Amino acid sequence: MADIVQVIILGLALGGVYALMASGLTLVFGVMRIVNLAHPIMIIAGAFVSYWLFTLYGLDPIVSMPIAAIVMFCVGIIVYKLIFEREAASAKYSEMTVLLTFAVAMCFDGLLGTAFSNTQRITSPFYATDAIFLGDVFIPTGQLYAGIASLTVIAALVAFLQFTRFGYAIRATTQNRDAAQLMGVNVGLVSIITFGIGVGLAGAAGALVSFVFSFFPAKHWEWIAILMSLVVLGGMGKLAGAIIGALILATLAAFVSTYIGTTWSTMTFFLALFVILLVRPQGLFGDPLEES
Amino acid sequence: MSTQLDVSGVVEARKSREETLATTAGAGRQAWVPATLLAVLVALPAVQVFDGFNYVLHLGLYALMYIAMSSSWNILGGYTGYISLGHNVFFCIGGYFSGMILAYTGISTLITAPFAGLVASLVGFGIGFITLRMRGPTFIISSIALLMVARILFDNWNFVGGANGVTLPQLTIDVQWAKIPYYYAMLFIAAAAVYCSFRIKHSKFGLHLRAISQDEVKAESAGINTRFYKMLAFAISAFFVGMAGAVWGEYITYIRPSIFLIILIAANMVLMSILGGKGTVAGPIVGTVLLIAFNEFFVATLGSSEINIFATGLVMIVALLYFPNGIVGTLAQKKKLPRFLDWD
Repeated sequence: MADIVQVIILGLALGGVYALMASGLTLVFGVMRIVNLAHPIMIIAGAFVSYWLFTLYGLDPIVSMPIAAIVMFCVGIIVYKLIFEREAASAKYSEMTVLLTFAVAMCFDGLLGTAFSNTQRITSPFYATDAIFLGDVFIPTGQLYAGIASLTVIAALVAFLQFTRFGYAIRATTQNRDAAQLMGVNVGLVSIITFGIGVGLAGAAGALVSFVFSFFPAKHWEWIAILMSLVVLGGMGKLAGAIIGALILATLAAFVSTYIGTTWSTMTFFLALFVILLVRPQGLFGDPLEES
Repeated sequence: MSTQLDVSGVVEARKSREETLATTAGAGRQAWVPATLLAVLVALPAVQVFDGFNYVLHLGLYALMYIAMSSSWNILGGYTGYISLGHNVFFCIGGYFSGMILAYTGISTLITAPFAGLVASLVGFGIGFITLRMRGPTFIISSIALLMVARILFDNWNFVGGANGVTLPQLTIDVQWAKIPYYYAMLFIAAAAVYCSFRIKHSKFGLHLRAISQDEVKAESAGINTRFYKMLAFAISAFFVGMAGAVWGEYITYIRPSIFLIILIAANMVLMSILGGKGTVAGPIVGTVLLIAFNEFFVATLGSSEINIFATGLVMIVALLYFPNGIVGTLAQKKKLPRFLDWD
């Protein structure tokens, strides 16, 4: 019994981090119908921001989380302005943007790989290798703090979406873009800012990733499929769905890793992605997927 | 034929296009361009009599491999409109099938390559059975997931050497001539792939595929068995990729998951087709030649492999933003396509 509780706790702690990683992705899809394949490389870019702040100035990754988020927010706005804004009118919009984000991911992969080389890195604040014991079970402090920080950010995001005027505008655009525009929402501005927030969330997640997982630029290809599985399980564009999907799949992966083998734990996400797409493509909470 | 009534838009567009071709170009298609190109490529290894042209041959072989793969990809991605970002899974399957036969029995991949192609297409048919139920972005995501699944499987499959792979025996002929058998094999595969792509485009099967790419629901209601044709397109497009993988494996003398199953190869296939013009016969060839020339230039001047990924991504962005129909496609739209590029 203690074993199972242990596995669930480990899974949930990681799931919290995954939830933050996936939240930006699902937000961007909700507002703009962009499947952002460049999201994972943005997470790694955010991780590099935190990594260098930690290595050069000894700044704690959790403290540097807002900095990573702001830096990536700016990057997101620039990328959107340069590339995606003009695509809004394209007929094959959703297919086009997938390919474009794929190309953006390659660009950033190449840039980061050239600048910092593809070696494994990890930030190691003092708590990263510690653990708290509660009777029989233990909680790794690094993952615990990361999970708490990530849930805090998500709570802030939800509060922003629920209680501010701009949050209303974003939610309205998610529900019905045309109607929102008719009601006087500046859809273009909402799109830019949401893309920025999405990438900024990736940066914030990156700060946590930098000490929870080890990272290197080329790792993001694997994360594309992992994050997609979380988002698709919850229903594309549904924030709550992505969080629940992350918690479920991370726990499942923790079980697979414990009882079958660590190599197969990432396989859980990929197979889950196939199964979900086949059985219920709209996910647990989603509306039926629109097809371009 | 009742099946063609409701795709009349497609038929009409085709008819009107052929009429404009006949009036503007006068004599219609020019078969001598591909024929001359083929003759030059067949004669190319003759330079090796003077030795020292191994680089030229290697580059030719490499370009032919990508011509075969991007033309093959184009059958699914261009004609049918299903963009696969994990097509190098079949490259890997072909390479491993023939490579393992070579390692265990010593039969050259030049002989087993067609069977490797068949195996790749069978697997493609099976995978298509599952993944082709999805459409648009969902299909693209599933193809990436497929690549990841294949990578984990091959990395952990001990029979085929796991992540370390297997070293293959080398040909025992002089270095001067060692590349030539593989060169001709690739030339054969590339020519077959381009010819197949051309024939498909001009067949009823090709019409079915283009109907699917334009509006699948309408195509189905017009009586086209969309499910079957999609799967067939997937299988055919896996065939040549698998064959190319078989020959490539023996050519570089070892097979390893990290050679075949990297995203850059899949991205190259997609990019070459899109850059040249997806859905056209000549497009993938133009795209391949351009991209390889560009890559070689980049490697020669900057010399790093990671900056290469960056460059590929950058070219892809520019191509998608400014030439969404590719070079051949955009020129054809403006009716400025030079006659030697009009292979359709």
